[in-house]
Amino acid sequence: MISIDRSIIFQIINFFVLVMLLFRFLFKPVIQALDKRSNHIQDEMTKIENAKLEVEQLRKKFEEESKNIHIKYQERLELANQEAVQIKSKIIDEAYQESEKIKQTAEEKARIEIDKLFSELKMDIVDISTGIAEKLLREQIDVSKQDQLIDRLLEEAISRIEIKSDVPYGQ
Amino acid sequence: MASKKEIVKMITPLPLTESQRSLIKTKLNRITDLNHMIFQEEIDPSLVGGIIVICGEIYIDCSLKTQFNKIRESLLREGIV
Repeated sequence: MISIDRSIIFQIINFFVLVMLLFRFLFKPVIQALDKRSNHIQDEMTKIENAKLEVEQLRKKFEEESKNIHIKYQERLELANQEAVQIKSKIIDEAYQESEKIKQTAEEKARIEIDKLFSELKMDIVDISTGIAEKLLREQIDVSKQDQLIDRLLEEAISRIEIKSDVPYGQ
Repeated sequence: MASKKEIVKMITPLPLTESQRSLIKTKLNRITDLNHMIFQEEIDPSLVGGIIVICGEIYIDCSLKTQFNKIRESLLREGIV
């Protein structure tokens, strides 16, 4: 016959009571704490994932904006270059026109001055030439030559008057 | 026929001789009907040569001075020089 020691029964009971107590006061809180911790970590992970997604979106948005800014910068740079080229061209044109105007004015002044000088030179040449001729003739004029001059020049003048009037007087 | 007379002014660089006066009178008779001419003579050396005759409305300038002036004006006007 099998004899069972009462102490063993008590020990078994004690064991179960201990297990229950441990389960109630140790395992359960620990499991709850672990669950809570696990949930917290899960939440944090979710937040991190969300944050990563948000960061990724922000990064894409930033890249897009950066790209747009770069495009706008390029466009404005190109526009500025075009304006600079136009302004440069305009300044060159204006400078060229101004220089042409100055050149034309200078040429006109020079031409007027040359014409004036040439005219004065012509007058001087004519004055000197006629002066010399007059002086030479004045030295050579005598009664005989005066006779010839009066005869010839007066004859020419009177003939012209006769031709004009067509009716000679005294005849 | 009524006798017409007129003052004939003659300007010359040298004094006129009698033959010159006669010559001038003969030539003026061809364009005037004057019977009597009263010569009024004036000496102007600037004329160089020739004569200027003023008879009533007739003005005849045969002086070398005027000829020179004409040549001078012609040279300047026509741009020969």
